[in-house]
Amino acid sequence: MNKSGLYLRYGLYALLGLVLLGNAFLFLRSINDLDRFLINAILGLSVFITLNTGLLSLANAGFMAIGAYTSAILVAKVGLPLPLGLLGAMALCGLVGLLIGLPVLRLSDVYLAISTLGFGEVVRVLIVTNPDLTGGATGANLSTGFAYDTMKQTQTWMLVVFLGFLIYLFYFLARSRTGRALRAIRQNASAASTMGINVVFYRNLAFVISAVIAGAGGTFYAHQVGSLDNGDFRFTRAVDILSYAVLGGSTHWFGPILGAGLLTALPIFLREVLGGAFQFIKDFVQLPNIINGLALMLVIIFLPGGLYAPAQGRGFRLKSREKLEIRNQKSELNQPSSFIPHPSPSGPLLELREVRQAFGGVTAVDNVSFTLPAGGIYGLIGPNGAGKTTLLNLISGLYRPGQGQIIFAGHDITGKPPHQIARLGIARTYQNIRLFPDMTVLENVVVGHHARIKTNLLTTWLRLPQERREERAAREEALTLLNRLGLSSFANLPASKLSYGDQRRVEIARALALEPQLLLLDEPAAGMNNVESTRLAEFILELKRQGYTILVIEHHMDLIMQVSDEIVVLNFGRKIAQDVPTIVQQNPQVVEAYLGQG
Amino acid sequence: MVDPSLLTNPVYLLQNLVDGLARGAVYAVFALGFTLIFGVLDIVNLAHAATYMWCAFVGWIVMSEWGLPLPVGLLAAMLAGGLIAVGLEFVAFRPLRQEGAERLAPMISSIGASIIMVSLAETFFSAQTKRFPSGVLDPKPLYLGGTDGVRVSWAQLLIVVVSIVLMVGLGYLIRRTRTGKAIRAVAYSQRAARLLGINVNRIVVITFFIGGLLAGAAGILIGLLTNNIAPGIGAQIELRGLAVVILGGLGNIEGAVIGGLLLGLVETFTIAYFQKGGDYKDAIAFLILFLILLVRPNGLLGRKEANRA
Repeated sequence: MNKSGLYLRYGLYALLGLVLLGNAFLFLRSINDLDRFLINAILGLSVFITLNTGLLSLANAGFMAIGAYTSAILVAKVGLPLPLGLLGAMALCGLVGLLIGLPVLRLSDVYLAISTLGFGEVVRVLIVTNPDLTGGATGANLSTGFAYDTMKQTQTWMLVVFLGFLIYLFYFLARSRTGRALRAIRQNASAASTMGINVVFYRNLAFVISAVIAGAGGTFYAHQVGSLDNGDFRFTRAVDILSYAVLGGSTHWFGPILGAGLLTALPIFLREVLGGAFQFIKDFVQLPNIINGLALMLVIIFLPGGLYAPAQGRGFRLKSREKLEIRNQKSELNQPSSFIPHPSPSGPLLELREVRQAFGGVTAVDNVSFTLPAGGIYGLIGPNGAGKTTLLNLISGLYRPGQGQIIFAGHDITGKPPHQIARLGIARTYQNIRLFPDMTVLENVVVGHHARIKTNLLTTWLRLPQERREERAAREEALTLLNRLGLSSFANLPASKLSYGDQRRVEIARALALEPQLLLLDEPAAGMNNVESTRLAEFILELKRQGYTILVIEHHMDLIMQVSDEIVVLNFGRKIAQDVPTIVQQNPQVVEAYLGQG
Repeated sequence: MVDPSLLTNPVYLLQNLVDGLARGAVYAVFALGFTLIFGVLDIVNLAHAATYMWCAFVGWIVMSEWGLPLPVGLLAAMLAGGLIAVGLEFVAFRPLRQEGAERLAPMISSIGASIIMVSLAETFFSAQTKRFPSGVLDPKPLYLGGTDGVRVSWAQLLIVVVSIVLMVGLGYLIRRTRTGKAIRAVAYSQRAARLLGINVNRIVVITFFIGGLLAGAAGILIGLLTNNIAPGIGAQIELRGLAVVILGGLGNIEGAVIGGLLLGLVETFTIAYFQKGGDYKDAIAFLILFLILLVRPNGLLGRKEANRA
C-alpha cells in the first residue's frame, strides 16, 4: 500500500474512533439513529455482494423502493403481519432482479452500471404514476393514506436478528465453493470461466441476492420511518449505499457494516457536536452527500480495498496438521499421481475443421484443420502473430469461431461457452498469467476443483456434512497437486507474490485440478530458467504417461522438440505444416517462416 | 390511447418533428461527449451530467447576473465544461490509470465526483429553478406556412445550427487532424500509442477537454430550450445520454448523433400522441436502453465484441 493510503487509513480510523465516542451517547439517546445504522448496514451488505463479484450495481435504491412500497401495501392495505410483508417484498425484489439481470449480466460490466442507474429512475416513475397504489408524488403515510394505525413497526431487535442472520449467511458464503466462484469472477472473469465457472449464472445469483437484501432493507426502512416518499429513493440513495461498501471494504462482509457505521454516524456527529459551535455546519444540508462523495473518491484512489481489508486469502490457509504432512512428504516433482484420466473413446480427441477467425480486417486464424489423437503431446509453434493464442482461445471457448467446427471427444463444442468446454475436459493456462491475484496459491488451485465439487448455497448454509467432506477432499487434492509441482511451500502466499515461473506452475496446477483430458499450455516455460524448464519438460512427459493429452505453445524450441510427438506450425493464421519434430525442422516452409526468405 | 384526429393532422406531425429534432440535437451533443470519452478511454464518466449541469449555471451567471450576450455565455459555458472535465481527469481518473487498478474504480470515482458537484450546486444555487434572461433570444418564433403552420423558435434554430457545427467540427477534428489521429491511436491501444511516441496523458487531457466543451454546449442549449436550470437537470439527462450512447453503440460517434435524434423524436412523439405519455417520458430512455440490450447489445451501429465472458 502506498503512503497516502496508509495516512488515509489512520486518519479514517481516528475519525471512526472520534465519531464512535461522540456517537455512543447519541445512539443511546436516540434509538432512531441506531435503527438507521442497522438498516444501512443491511443495505451495505446488499451492495457488497455485487461488488464482491466485480459488479457495479446502482439498482439498490430501486430495490429498496420496491421493498418499501410492496411491504407497506401488503401490511397497511392488505393487512398482513410484517414478517409476511417482508417475505413478499423480498420475493418480488428477487423476481425483478432476475428479470433485469438476465439480459444485462451476459454483457460486459459497464452495461450493468448503466441499466441499473436507469432502473432506479423507472421505479420512481412507476411510483409517481400509480398514485392509487403508492400515494404518488405526494408520498404515502402509513398511518393515514393506508388506513393503518400502528405505523412504525420496525423494532431494533428485528434489525439485530436480521443483520445477524445475514452475517451468518455471508460468513459461510465466503468459505464456500460459491463464494470462491464469486471472488474468482471479480478477479478474472475469463480465467474463472475456463475453470468451469458459469460466470453468467453466478453474476445473476449475486445480483438476485443483492436485490433481495435491498428489498428487506427497504421494508425495514418503510416501517421505521412510517411514511414513504419516492424522493427517498433517488440516485443519492444509491450512492449512499454504494459508499458504505466502498469505504468500509468490499472484500469482507464486515467492511460494509463498518462503512455504514461511519457514514451514518459522521453526519449526526457533525450536526450534533460541531453544529452547536458552528451554525454553518447545521445549515449545510448537503454535507452528508458531500461526505459520501469524498469518501468514494478518496478511498477508491488511496485505499482501494476499503477500510477493512484483511490480509489476502485469509481463511484459506494451511492448517498446522497439513503443514506437518507437507514437511513429511518429499517434495518430488514427478511423484506419481493416483489419478489416471479415463482414456477417451478411440479416434481423435480434438478435431478442428476449417476453423476461421477474423478481427476487423485481420484474419487471425485462417481455415485451420487438424486432428489430435488422444494421449500425445502436440506442439503448436509459429512466429509471433501467427494466431497460436487465438487458436487456444477458440478451443477453450473464449472466442466464438467465425467459421468452422471444433469437435472434442465426440462433442461439437463450436460456440459453446467456456465453462461448458472446461467441464467436458479441456483446461488451459495463459500466456499472460491469469491467476486470481488476491487468493492464496492453495485457493487458486481449489478454484480449479469448482466443476468437480457439487456443493451449493443450500449445503453451505445448512452446514450439511457433504460440504465439509467435499471441501476437505478438494483441499487435499490441491495440496497434492502443489506438492507434485514443487509449490507446496508457497501454498499460503497470495498468488501475486510469486515469481513469474512459479506463477506459471500454479496455473498448471490449477488447470490439472479440473482433471481435464486435454491440457492447453500457452508458453508454460516463459520466464523460467533452464533448470526450471528442463524440470517442466519432465513433468509434461510424466503427464503424458498418465494419459493426458497436451497441446503446448512454446518458443523454447529445445523443449518443444524434446517433448512433442507431433508439431503443428502456423504462419499468418494458416497451418503450414504438421508432422513429427525431425521432419518439421527440415520443412523449408517452416524454416522460411522463422528465418524469412534468404 | 391515441387521439385519431391528431394522427391526420400534418401540421401537428411536422411541429412534433421539429420539436423532436431540436430536443434530440441536445441529447446528441450531450451524448457525444460521453461516447468520446468512453471510446477513447474505456471510461464511463458518470460525472459528465454534473459537468453539463454546472455549465448551464455558468451560462446563467454570465448572461443573467453579468448581463453579457448569448455568444459569450455559450463560449464561457463550453470553456467551463472543458476545464471541469480536465479537472475531473486529474482528480478522479488519472490517479486510477495504473497497473492493477480495478476496472470499476474509475466509474465509482466519477460517481463520487458527480454527487459532490450536484450537492455543491444545490448548496450554492438552492434547488429552485433559474432562467436565462428573456432578451438573449427573440421570443417571437418563426412560422413556416403562416401563423397556423409549424412554429420554430429561435432557440430551436440555434440548437440545430450549433449542434451541426459541433458535430461537423468534431468529425473533422477526429478524422482530419493530427490530434484526431493521435486520439484514434490512443483509443485503439494506449500502449501502442505510447510506443509510437504519442504523449498519451496529453491526448487524454485533450479528449476530456473536448468532451467537456460538448457538455458545456449541451448545458446552454438545454437552458435555452426548456428555460429551466436547476441542480437536478443533470440527473434528468444522464440516463438519456447513456441510453443514446448504447443505442448508437458504446464509443460510436455517428451512433451517438443518430441515437440522440432518435430518442428526441421518440420522446416528443410519445408525449404528443399518447394520453399520459408525458408521465412516462422519463421512462422511455430506459425502455429503449433495455430493449437494445435484449436484442442488439452492441447498439444499432455497434460492432460485435470478439471477446466474451
